[in-house]
Amino acid sequence: MEIDAKKEGQTVIIVLTGRMDAVSAPQFDKTVDDFIEQGETRILIDFKTLEYISSAGLQSILALAKRLEITSGTVLLSDLNGAVKEVFEISGFSSIFPIFDNLDAAKASI
Amino acid sequence: MSLLHIILPAKMDNLENFIQSLSMWLQQHGMATEKIHRVELAVEEALVNIIRYAYEGQTGDVELRGGITDDQRFVIEILDSGAPFDVCTLPKPDIHCSIRDRKIGGLGVFLIQRMVDELLYRREGDKNVLTMFINRNNGRLASSRQDIHADA
Repeated sequence: MEIDAKKEGQTVIIVLTGRMDAVSAPQFDKTVDDFIEQGETRILIDFKTLEYISSAGLQSILALAKRLEITSGTVLLSDLNGAVKEVFEISGFSSIFPIFDNLDAAKASI
Repeated sequence: MSLLHIILPAKMDNLENFIQSLSMWLQQHGMATEKIHRVELAVEEALVNIIRYAYEGQTGDVELRGGITDDQRFVIEILDSGAPFDVCTLPKPDIHCSIRDRKIGGLGVFLIQRMVDELLYRREGDKNVLTMFINRNNGRLASSRQDIHADA
C-alpha cells in the first residue's frame, strides 16, 4: 500500500493506494500516530485508489477514530469504491463514519 | 483440473505469498475479479487468525488447498496444527454501535462468513480444517435451490 499524506490548512489528507491488509495496516498506524503526536485533530482519508481492505485495515481506522474522539478530533472518509465500499457496508462502518462521495465534497464539508 | 496447494510457516511475511498464489489460481480458473477480492478477504482473515493465535508463540505451518467440486464450486481449505478452534461458533459482532462502543477486533470471522457461500469447520487428527465453498456464480445457486424446493 502507498500512503500519501499532506497537510492542507488544519486538515491532514491521507490518500491510500493499493491494498490495506494485515501486512500494510501497521504502516498506516505509524503515519497517523506521527500526525496525532504533532497535535493534529482532523484527518481526511481518501480511498479512491484503494482497491482492497481487510479487517486489519478497518481496525486501524477505528483505532484512529477512537483516539481522535478523545481530543474532540474528527476523521472523514472519501471516495469508497468496489470491494472497499462493500466491506465498509457489511461491517457497519458506513454508518459510523462521515463518508463523502469524493475528496472535494469532503473538503467542502470542513 | 490443477489444484492449489501451498504449505508455509504461519508467519505474516508469508501472507502475501499465499494471497498472490490464491489470486492467480482463481483467475486461471475463470473467477471474476470482483469475486476474487471477496475470496482473498476470506482467506486473509482466516490466515491472519492462524498466524496470530494458532501457535501461541511457537512455530507451525499453515496449509492452503484449492480445488473445484464436480458441481463446479470452488472449494478452499485452510489447515493448521494449533489448538482446536472452530471459527463457526464465534458470536457475531455488534455492527450497529457508535465509534466509542465499537470493539476493535472480532470482525475477521464475520467477514469470512459473509464472503463465502458456505463455511465448515472440522477437526481432523491434530489439525483444524476450515473449508470454504464459493459458487461460480450466484444465479446457478439460486436455480439449484429452487430445484430442491420443487422436489420437496
